[in-house]
Amino acid sequence: MVNSDYKCSVEKPDDFDEFWGDVLDDAARIPLNAETVPLPMRSSDELETFEVTYDSLDGVRVAAWYCMPREREGPLPAVVFMPGYQSDPAIPKDWARRGYAAVTAAPRGKLRSNGQFNPGYPNLLTHNIVDRNTYSYRGFYVDAWRTIDYLLTRDEVDSERIGIAGSSQGGGLTITTAAMRPEVKVASAGAPYLCGFMDAIELTSSYPYQEINDYLRMHPDSRADVERTLAYFDGISFADKIKCPIIMNIGLQDNVCPPETGYALQDAIGSDDKRLYAYDGHGHEAGRYKHTAIITEFFAEHLQGTSS
Amino acid sequence: MTTDFERYWDDTLNELAGYPAAPEVELLPMRCADFATMYGVRLTGVGAYRLFGYLSVPRGDGPFPAIYFAPKYQSVLEPIPQGAANFLRSRFVVFALAGRGQRLSDKPYSAGFPGLLTECIDDAHSYIFRGIAADSARGLDYLLTRDEVDAERVVSIGNDMALVAAALQEGATHVICQPGLFVDTLAMAARTGDYPLEEVNDYLNLYPERRYAVEDTLANFELSKFAERVNARTLLLAGAPGSMLDAGGLSAVSGAIAGDVSVYESQSSSYKDGLHQEEWLAREFGFADAILPEHWR
Repeated sequence: MVNSDYKCSVEKPDDFDEFWGDVLDDAARIPLNAETVPLPMRSSDELETFEVTYDSLDGVRVAAWYCMPREREGPLPAVVFMPGYQSDPAIPKDWARRGYAAVTAAPRGKLRSNGQFNPGYPNLLTHNIVDRNTYSYRGFYVDAWRTIDYLLTRDEVDSERIGIAGSSQGGGLTITTAAMRPEVKVASAGAPYLCGFMDAIELTSSYPYQEINDYLRMHPDSRADVERTLAYFDGISFADKIKCPIIMNIGLQDNVCPPETGYALQDAIGSDDKRLYAYDGHGHEAGRYKHTAIITEFFAEHLQGTSS
Repeated sequence: MTTDFERYWDDTLNELAGYPAAPEVELLPMRCADFATMYGVRLTGVGAYRLFGYLSVPRGDGPFPAIYFAPKYQSVLEPIPQGAANFLRSRFVVFALAGRGQRLSDKPYSAGFPGLLTECIDDAHSYIFRGIAADSARGLDYLLTRDEVDAERVVSIGNDMALVAAALQEGATHVICQPGLFVDTLAMAARTGDYPLEEVNDYLNLYPERRYAVEDTLANFELSKFAERVNARTLLLAGAPGSMLDAGGLSAVSGAIAGDVSVYESQSSSYKDGLHQEEWLAREFGFADAILPEHWR
């Protein structure tokens, strides 16, 4: 039985806003220098696909896929998809077929974004984990957030209708992006990872969270430093900044991202318009087979002004 | 009479035999635990291609039953699959191999995703999955050389390559396979817009004149033909009823497997599907209980 009142131990650091303000100031000094290259092989009569690259924090060049319908009337609503921890981002053709400009990010370390930074898997989660200023996710988060900047450069995108979605790590990145980018008007986070780290490593023994336990077994004296760093990167620390409508789905038998952390996250989200779908009998897929239709409907309602 | 399929794979295996595995084994302290030791293993595959795998060995006296995680269509090689109880490593020798193109086996070839499924698909000899299938066989062969392994209890787990490995290399007593790539590939691709099969649609959209060459190549990869060579007790994981690769969609494969086979249709729940798989394996290997992740208990 999962405790739906579970509270995670993470405490938002007092200088959280100052830390991320400094990071964003650093990022703002780096021009996006976006390139959008057509991919004839992945395009069709129905839709266009592009490979995108842009600059991000520390000068790292980051890749993304971008798709949109060929036939367009006026500006398009846009959706950003965030990738899982181990999976590489898919080309979002399905959402382009539904009438969206759709982008999937490949933050640093993912294939095509690993020329300058490549800690590998496992390893990404604990790369420089004792130092918030060089921890892997400092740049990784900024890479993800910059997909919004990319969309804002596109003439065919309606900047007032941008949504974001993802599951697992994609769910965690959805949380941080919705928190940090006011341009995001609607969000859907599934089985969110990167939320309640220090609780998760006690609640589950599976990878990828197990990476942290591996690290602490080798470096037991670093536990306080690890905990201090992760508080700056925990989705729960970001969650009160989310003001847009948001839905979240979790599986109550999730063996990767403990559902307890999902409940704690839901409690911390600042939006008045938030809803949690908790699927009993489901694991890390978090009821995807039923829930996909709910996400589609939710985005159609908020970004296309339509509803079935 | 030798068929083209048999000749193709006999030639491939003969070529593989010309390359000694030349294993190098290195301790990986970061991934060790109180109950298991982790090693990195480097092996040579066909074409003098160096491969990487994670080998976990339980502490204590063996021999131990063994799990072979065959190469997958994904860039990342997992020491054990995401979500599996790490404590599985206390019971089983676990060997996970990255096929050529996956991370850690990506020199000189680094696969793209999408891209891997159609790499050189218009030429049967050069097609990347010829090498990956041979890698899969080599990995299973290597695992069986380990003294810690109980040769009476060896399972090959994964997608298509789990079955292919058991077909090309003797020694797997059990197989757990969830096919996704090589079941009537062209027909299945025509029914979906989802990757990885969408790769085939993309490829033929750009190169329609290569369709016959692609068909010729894929004829060597039809999973039902491999199934005829598999004598292991097999659990075939099908899609949910009504999906492309549900039990009906896999009937050619399940019907062709030479050994005892059971087919499980997905309940669209990674928990229920995973639980069935873990309990099946525990039963088959003679354990009273499966080792399950915390939220499945």
